[in-house]
Amino acid sequence: MASRRKLLLKIIILGDSGVGKTALMNQYVNKKFSNQYKATIGADFLTKEVMVDNRIVTLQIWDTAGQERFQSLGVAFYRGADGCILVFDTTSMNSFASLDAWRDEFLIQSSPKNTENFPFVVLGNKIDLENRAVSTKRAQKWCQTKNNIPYFETSAKEAVNVEQAFETIAKSAIALEKEEIYNDFPGDIILDRDNKPNNGAACNC
Amino acid sequence: MMEEAVTKKYVHEESSSITSLCAAVEACLSQGIRRRVLGLFKSGSTTALLHKVAKNFEPAAVISQKVQDIENSDPNRPSSSSGESTNRSSLILSNSISVTKPPLQKKNSANSGLSSQPPRYLWIRLALFDKVLARIIDHLVQNSSKYYEKDSLIADEDYGSILSSLLVGPCALDFSRTKTQDHMWTDPPADELVQRHRISSGHSTLPACRTPHLNYRRSLHAVNSEENHRQIPISAKDYVESLHQNSRATLLYGKNNVLVSPKDMNEPMPGYLSLHQTAHSLTIKWTPNQLMNGYSESDGTDKSIYWEYALNVRVDDIVYVHCHQHGGDNGGTIVLVGQDGVQRPPIHFPAGGHLLAFLSCLENGLLPHGQLDPPLWSQRGKGKVFPKLRRKGRILSQKTEVPEEESSDYVFQIISKTRHEDFLSASKEFIDAKHWFSSSNKHVSPRARAHLISSSTNSSSSSCKSLSIEPGGNGMEPVSPPPSLSSDLNNEDCKLEIENTKSSPGETIQLVCETMKRQIISRAFYGWLAYCRHLCTVRTHLSGLVNAAIISGEGAENGLTTEKWAELMKDDGKDSQTEVFRLAYYGGVAHDIRKEVWPYLLGHYTFGSSAEEREQLDETTKHSYETTMSEWLAVGAIIRQRDKEIVAASLAKLSSESTSGEQPPPTPALAQELSNDVFEDNISLSDDDPPIVDDYEGENENENEGEGEDEQKKKKVVATKCPPNSLEKHSSSDNTEILQSSSTLPTLEKVVEIMNNKMDKRHSAPCGGNIGHLSVLTGNGAVPRSVSPDEGMGDEADIEDEEEDKSSDPSKQNGQSQDQNLITDNSQTITKPMSVVVTSNQSVDSGNHSETLNGGSLSQPIVEASENEVQENMLAVCTGDEDGEGGASGQRSACISPASSQGGVYSSELIETFGLNIHRIDKDVDRCDRNYWYFTPDNLEKLRNVMCTYVWEHLDVGYMQGMCDLVAPLLVIFDNESMTYACFCKLMDRMGANFPHSGGTMDTHFANMRSLIQILDSEMFELMHQNGDYTHFYFCYRWFLLDFKRELVYEDVFTVWETIWAAKLISSAHFMLFIALSLVETYRDIILSNVMDFTDIIKFFNEMAERHDCKAVLTLARDLVLQLQTLIENK
Repeated sequence: MASRRKLLLKIIILGDSGVGKTALMNQYVNKKFSNQYKATIGADFLTKEVMVDNRIVTLQIWDTAGQERFQSLGVAFYRGADGCILVFDTTSMNSFASLDAWRDEFLIQSSPKNTENFPFVVLGNKIDLENRAVSTKRAQKWCQTKNNIPYFETSAKEAVNVEQAFETIAKSAIALEKEEIYNDFPGDIILDRDNKPNNGAACNC
Repeated sequence: MMEEAVTKKYVHEESSSITSLCAAVEACLSQGIRRRVLGLFKSGSTTALLHKVAKNFEPAAVISQKVQDIENSDPNRPSSSSGESTNRSSLILSNSISVTKPPLQKKNSANSGLSSQPPRYLWIRLALFDKVLARIIDHLVQNSSKYYEKDSLIADEDYGSILSSLLVGPCALDFSRTKTQDHMWTDPPADELVQRHRISSGHSTLPACRTPHLNYRRSLHAVNSEENHRQIPISAKDYVESLHQNSRATLLYGKNNVLVSPKDMNEPMPGYLSLHQTAHSLTIKWTPNQLMNGYSESDGTDKSIYWEYALNVRVDDIVYVHCHQHGGDNGGTIVLVGQDGVQRPPIHFPAGGHLLAFLSCLENGLLPHGQLDPPLWSQRGKGKVFPKLRRKGRILSQKTEVPEEESSDYVFQIISKTRHEDFLSASKEFIDAKHWFSSSNKHVSPRARAHLISSSTNSSSSSCKSLSIEPGGNGMEPVSPPPSLSSDLNNEDCKLEIENTKSSPGETIQLVCETMKRQIISRAFYGWLAYCRHLCTVRTHLSGLVNAAIISGEGAENGLTTEKWAELMKDDGKDSQTEVFRLAYYGGVAHDIRKEVWPYLLGHYTFGSSAEEREQLDETTKHSYETTMSEWLAVGAIIRQRDKEIVAASLAKLSSESTSGEQPPPTPALAQELSNDVFEDNISLSDDDPPIVDDYEGENENENEGEGEDEQKKKKVVATKCPPNSLEKHSSSDNTEILQSSSTLPTLEKVVEIMNNKMDKRHSAPCGGNIGHLSVLTGNGAVPRSVSPDEGMGDEADIEDEEEDKSSDPSKQNGQSQDQNLITDNSQTITKPMSVVVTSNQSVDSGNHSETLNGGSLSQPIVEASENEVQENMLAVCTGDEDGEGGASGQRSACISPASSQGGVYSSELIETFGLNIHRIDKDVDRCDRNYWYFTPDNLEKLRNVMCTYVWEHLDVGYMQGMCDLVAPLLVIFDNESMTYACFCKLMDRMGANFPHSGGTMDTHFANMRSLIQILDSEMFELMHQNGDYTHFYFCYRWFLLDFKRELVYEDVFTVWETIWAAKLISSAHFMLFIALSLVETYRDIILSNVMDFTDIIKFFNEMAERHDCKAVLTLARDLVLQLQTLIENK
């Protein structure tokens, strides 16, 4: 019963400014690309309902400001995140180098229960561009060292791998959720809660 | 039709289909319904049927009751037009179902709004939500013979039962559940919300920001508390339901046909008396029989009047219970007296010991927190009886002249073992509010109600205590002991008086009356006192936010027009500052003169300054702007160069990664050399210092390219260390240069020309040397500067290609010179561990070398060369980069040798910092308002220049995202870089602190917003607080950071900005707070009705960006300022 209820997953997109976070989010949710995005100030989010493992899942995707200076705001937005998408620009070595910092900062600020297995996914964006600076091998290597984070090379512009990447993060977030349900053993409580309204309804009639 | 119903069943989740479902049901029901049945009623709808059925079937009765309640609530509002009243009823409907599910509301309101008729299918809808529709239909089917013709659908055995069973499905759904997470994300977007709001509310609820005034006033009067009861319950359904035993409240006592004489009624009315216990309180309710179910179908007359009679008394508010027994078995009367001394209508109990039963229930209910004083006596076998000692029968008998021994009157005091513990534990946040609320027992607002639950007290004694405790808890508040003392005294009095009643009952009544009178006065006083304190807190909190003086906006509606401006500036505007600001504040500035007015508003120009002075200021501004710009352009060029290197390097790496296999790593020393070589080879630029290039990649990867070629070069480098070789190299490098110069001759000339200009400028007005040790050397810096990014980018690219092949020699030479330098010039140069110094004789030589070659055409380089000599002794850091730059410039203009470029001596730190900033600026400038007509590539370049200049001057702050957004509107207005820059600096004086790590003003804004909302719209605050508490106001972040630049379209941004600037002088230096507040208030009803939480509100406002009605928002904001000013002024 518990697994049947609708699920809301909060996904945070992080990465240096200008790596294409907003574009990725919009490509995934609205299926369109615009080169008119402005620098994100504060935070915005979009939601999308998807079917994952035969469940309807609502993804709440948060797009954040890229400049690390604005991370102090993070706490308010990162809180309660179920997954995190780290994005870098394949044409910018610096943006790749920042991944470490972004990951650490996120783990500190959102302080998830399960730091080790927290669902991450790394996206190397802008593969449609010519002047590539970060090789697939390098990126993969980094992901391996960080507990085998799934790695995707994406293009928000040409909608390459975007769908797959978000699906992956949704799946691993759900997997973690399930695991936690088992661990915390809240099954009884949930059943209880589900029964109550029915009883009440019966009484009222 | 059946199928339709079936399909509806499956799509019910999209509740838009609810209406059609209802329609289907209605159609099913009305088909073949007996004329006879309908004929009895005026209306032709199935509602009549419902009423009919209601007589025989209980759930139907409940529903029909509700329907009537809703329908009846309409005529109560005489002022509202019929359209409005239907709207209202539909609102009430949705309220009564406590559905916040928006689509439903929309359907209702849209439906009713369009047809101007009472919502159709009302009863079906209600029944559906109450999950009894199926049962009603079932009942109908079973009794179909009674209501329907034989051939009707319902009467048909199969179809009828199918229909009812079909409806079981939808009924099982819990429609009345409150907004859950599930719904949250299927919520419609913001515009739909706004649209819906427009449809559903021809009348908007009065913003609570106004109500506090009213509330204060009301609390001052000891209003007859019966008003409390007159509040028609928002939902009739809820009310009736609440009378039954339910999960929230335990029914302690219930008795029908209890008579109550409401104030305006002559005859006592029978009704249902009940005593409910909830977690917090005891409530006594009395509902006239007319409102109870059985009477519902009686007639269509206005029932609402009965609501006014219905009693709803919280025992917390009751201090005394007066019991009058009529002797024998004639029942008795109870009069409840509230804390404010006001009597509730007497309640007459029928005979049969019900009075006693009620009292004992009440006593039980009060436990454990309170008790009746005196307690009822327990008698074995008989249960509770009245205490004998407290008999006061004589009073009554004296008056009525009936010597009835049995009849007796009692006065019970309800004593609570006070709840001040609860009270103290209640959050201190609201302490000032509680102050006021606890002493005035009016239920004035939802918030007050909420507080009363925790803070209201069971008796006067507790109330006194709470008051006396509170100042202590408040600490900072100036405590006035007399009130609390007197209240205690007061309390003592009460008790004493009660004691007295024993001995002299005659005086007792009088005394009690006096006590009441005194209590009323003291309450009023406390109310007033608390109100003062409340305002005092408001004052301290918010007085800093607005100017004390209220400047009226009379005649300023049209704002600052061109004519007015001309008029005001006749004598350079000596005395017109206030007037200009006032006009700008109330009406904005005409677009044409913004260019002239803004510098005044921002404080760049001062009022009264003459035209010449302003011109001079402009000149100075322009000059210093250009100076600064040329400075950072130099660095910018260096950075550009380095970027290229990095790109090339990473390209190299990529290729190496793909091509090279695993090779045994050379020794560290060798690796160092090799890595350098790798860069030089691939980049074809002489770079000895690859600091940026990649800290992540180990040396190993570079070494992978350590192929035979590198080894060779290594040897070569070593070989060229001897002077003869070096000479040879020189010649070769010169050759290269000549080759290049011939290919780029036109550019070269241009560059030289520009360079000369720059040099002149530099000499005439030496810049203020922001970067200390630089000032002397800027002359050299001018060379790369002159090779400004605008010039010959294409050439550069071409050259580079050439370079790829040719420049291996010069680069090696550099490598060599470096070596030599290290060997020979240790005394002169200080080498930082990372950056290798190349200001060696060797390189200077090479510079001179080239000069001599080109000396005929240029006199300047000689000066440079001499300066280079000086420079050699300077602390030269990171000249590796300079060298690189020199390479670049040298390629373009052979005459300007690599050496000359070494002039720019910047610390690597500085270059790195600025480089980082410039990259960020580039990224954001590119993205800044691309869709606004003004920002063509040319104008974006201007934006970039302004931005870079600012950052160069404020490197400690650096570039922060959002700054571009602040520059953009200024640039659009001025279309002049230096003016934009100057005004931006002024703007940043205030705005700069908003940015993270540079002032923390943002947190102050949030705190102020919190106070403002708390004071001016407590209902909104309550909502924010209870929905995951987003009173941190992070959703306002962008508003404050950019002064609403992203929230509004450009035209509105201009207006809002100048209003904010002008407000500083006219009303408030924190006007943006009021705009923010006004934005929240504008959508108040939407926010409240959708019970928005943090995510909802973020989404809402993000989607509403650039769609606000700026004029209305500004007007409201000004009103809000005025409101606060008045509040403070009135104390």
